[in-house]
Amino acid sequence: MHSEVTTTSGIFVAAHELKAPLALMRQLALSLDPENPAETKEYQDKLISVSDRALRQVNDLAKVARLEDALFEMEPVAVRGVCDEVTEELKYLFRFQQRSLKVSYRNKQKLAVANRDLLHSIIYNFCVNALKYSDEDQTSLLTLKDKKQFIRLEVRDFGPALPTDIYQKIAQNNLEGPTSISFRPDSSGLGLFIATRFARYMKANVGATRHRDGTSFFVDLPVSNQGTLFNA
Amino acid sequence: MPNPPKTIYIIDDDELFADCIKSAIKKHDKSIAIKTFKNALDAMNSLDDLPDLILLDILLPGPDGFTFLNELASYPDTAKIPVVLVTSLALPEADLSIYNIQGILNKEKMKPTEVIEYVKRFSR
Repeated sequence: MHSEVTTTSGIFVAAHELKAPLALMRQLALSLDPENPAETKEYQDKLISVSDRALRQVNDLAKVARLEDALFEMEPVAVRGVCDEVTEELKYLFRFQQRSLKVSYRNKQKLAVANRDLLHSIIYNFCVNALKYSDEDQTSLLTLKDKKQFIRLEVRDFGPALPTDIYQKIAQNNLEGPTSISFRPDSSGLGLFIATRFARYMKANVGATRHRDGTSFFVDLPVSNQGTLFNA
Repeated sequence: MPNPPKTIYIIDDDELFADCIKSAIKKHDKSIAIKTFKNALDAMNSLDDLPDLILLDILLPGPDGFTFLNELASYPDTAKIPVVLVTSLALPEADLSIYNIQGILNKEKMKPTEVIEYVKRFSR
């Protein structure tokens, strides 16, 4: 019964979150003015960017549903490479919204045991979350650092602090579904829920650090004992 | 023919959506001053300068749209400011009669021209 309720509310929250980009795309399409080519180009770029994000979210949700089938192969992954891919992918979106993302690699090219696609989604969701909760001209920080047994990937934003109850759920690894649409208002926490499920599949841990002026979300990835042969 | 409103506030945390509305209003009349706010708190702090129309989303970071409406209703001068809700929430208009809400635009169905209708109606 409890899981039915969780599933139903999860579907409701996911549907609500997916409505926002669709409504925005509709509005952008209605705003296209053939007599103004420069503006039309701008709106087309926005349409592509918003639809890309929405598609990624739908794909991630489909992956969450398939995690139990264990279809995602684990392999040694160069985390820096995946970070580079994500930051390149999001470069336009950050610039377009007058934000920036600073990357700091403080690890020595260690490999993590992960699924490349799932790791990509985790980093992407963290970065989009930081984008969402940063003000104009603010810089979010993506940091990669070595710990003894794991590699920590952390994305710091400067938005509202994470509410205590959600923080505790994350700390206890107990985020079982997207949460109320007002937990960190304007977001259902869907991205965080997706990241948590992907991390759990990869035997990695998602956590958060509350700051007075924002939040850092991190994932601790198990280190691969294989050499750096697979760096590419 | 009435003059257009001088100042319009758009309160919406979705900046791209707010930009669409702003652009539609600017196309209608470039002289209208439009201020956009990502949260209700910043908008509340700007209310010394009374706008002629407020376009308000409900789900906002921090205090939500209803908190903002309560704040508006608390003072005689701000209570008179016409407000149009721009939201994807289903809201029964009758329950909102204590506020000066002039209309509700559903984000999933609205057209830029509908915003302009309100801009024209509340011109002075």
